Amino acid sequence: MSVTPVTTPAVTATNVVLSGRGLHKSFGGNRAVNGADLDVSEGTITALIGPNGAGKSTVVNLISGLLPPDAGEVRLAGEDVSGWPSHRIAQRGLIRTFQLSRELQGLTVLENLLVTPIAQKGEALVNIFLRPRAVRREERANVERAVEILRDYGLYHVRDNWARALSGGQKRLLELARAVMAQPRILLLDEPMAGVNPALVDQIGDHILKLRTDGITVLMIEHNLGVVERICDHVIVMAEGRTLATGRMSDLRDNPEVVHAYLGGVLDARLDS
Amino acid sequence: MAPILYYGFTLLFFFAAYCVLGWGLNLQFGESGILNFAYIAFVAIGAYIAGVTSSGPPLPGSGQSYVLGATLPFPLGLLAGGVASCLLAVLVAFIAFRRLRSDYLAMVLISISLVMYDFINNYVPLFDGADGLNSVPMPLASTLGLNANSFLIFFAVLTVVIGAFMWLIMSRITRSPLGRTLRAIRDDPDVVSALGKNVFRYQLTAMLIGAFYAGIGGGLIVEFSSSFNTSAWTVPETFIIFAALIIGGLGNNVGVMVGAFVVPVLFTQLPKFIPDIPGHPGLILNLEGAVIGVLLILTMWFRPQGIIPERVRRPDRFLARRTVAAPADAIDADQVDATASPEAAAVDAETVR
Repeated sequence: MSVTPVTTPAVTATNVVLSGRGLHKSFGGNRAVNGADLDVSEGTITALIGPNGAGKSTVVNLISGLLPPDAGEVRLAGEDVSGWPSHRIAQRGLIRTFQLSRELQGLTVLENLLVTPIAQKGEALVNIFLRPRAVRREERANVERAVEILRDYGLYHVRDNWARALSGGQKRLLELARAVMAQPRILLLDEPMAGVNPALVDQIGDHILKLRTDGITVLMIEHNLGVVERICDHVIVMAEGRTLATGRMSDLRDNPEVVHAYLGGVLDARLDS
Repeated sequence: MAPILYYGFTLLFFFAAYCVLGWGLNLQFGESGILNFAYIAFVAIGAYIAGVTSSGPPLPGSGQSYVLGATLPFPLGLLAGGVASCLLAVLVAFIAFRRLRSDYLAMVLISISLVMYDFINNYVPLFDGADGLNSVPMPLASTLGLNANSFLIFFAVLTVVIGAFMWLIMSRITRSPLGRTLRAIRDDPDVVSALGKNVFRYQLTAMLIGAFYAGIGGGLIVEFSSSFNTSAWTVPETFIIFAALIIGGLGNNVGVMVGAFVVPVLFTQLPKFIPDIPGHPGLILNLEGAVIGVLLILTMWFRPQGIIPERVRRPDRFLARRTVAAPADAIDADQVDATASPEAAAVDAETVR
């Protein structure tokens, strides 16, 4: 296979905030990730694309600590976080969403956001009983911020509904809103637009663009290549557990080898339509 | 005093004690999703330790043998029971909580409970084996000059007071951000971990608090009844508390109280005072398990959320109060959306669907 890796000036050694090197992960005999490399630059939106089974979600799981890699290294802001548990990685500012919406079903929409801030005073018994005012003060500040985010995401009117009662689209928005509430430095979005209608796809795209404006770095798995072209600064193409090429969407679509060898012409056809 | 009144106070005692036990398990299972099938073992440890630390060393020639015999004044023995149960929780959490899915965790916990049961039942030097403790003194009875009857009333009332105090503590915990985080872990521990929270630490907290309640509940039972042995904490006893939670309403402390009244009091303790049906001695007691089972099935069919379901919490209520105080902002945001631009609201709703 002769593939020409495409690089873009947007990724330089100085502004890489998240990187993976030689990542490997097998499930039984299946090598889901087989030597993937990736770099994500600070303040950009990077897409991770590739056919089903390319290992994209597994890479996100390895980076976010949901699964430990068999081999390879993940660096977050220069720090080696390979094999760290997910809560420690999240504490460093990397927050993720999931491919299938995983709302906290037995909590209300508002509570889904309120549970997010790390190390809340009201999560410690000693504060609950000895510093109730400080707990209440922090809770109020969190509620005000959560309410603001819910208004932004059009979920304010359902704030007191059980999250399990939301529609599919609302659950997508809730998942994104919850991640935003966590004030991430880096956001990993696993197919944030899967199964939503075109109008909502645009809306979610706009939200993600706004996150970049707010200084949040985004790495997102996405199959909708129109969306990728519209909002992503940089694209990483994966297939068979490896990184095939990186670059701008416009560069990749002009690279017939990448298009035909690894996406079977689908990429070309979609972009032309 | 009429015997019926003593029955009443006995039932009152069991109601309060089972509320304490129920709240503890509710925090672990109803709020945190820990399927603690070993809960009765925590109750037992609380009872044994409260018992031996109040009974004094075993008397020579009494034929009894147990460890830690001491005469701690009330309520130190009771607290020792709670603390011992917490120590067991730490041990169990470190054995069982490492990356185990909740159903496997439940199996490990039930195994731990069975191992403990067999060990305590057969290793006589620990808590006198199957005979158990049978002469635990009535706390404060000599100080207050109480006889067996007046002690029964006194201790039932005291248990209600202790129960009320523990209710206040538990409600504050479940209403707090800690309670919310525990409920989030119940729903999806991976998501909570991905939000930067150490799930194990929170589960350990829930185990500790729940175990303390179990230990105190067990301690109260041994101090009320003066005796405790392995027949009091067989596996079905765990399911009686689980049944109480499910029938009363999981994740709701008031529901737990209703469940504690319906299952352990109405269907477990009360039948002990119902006269036998002529010609069928023991039939009523033998039917107890079947009746509770049928009740559980009916609940699952017709009201799976329990008699009093988990309630919606509204942490933003203070915002509404504030808008009332400031008439300039008196329009709720819902109304703003609807009145300012009905079209926009309709489009928004349509888009989101």
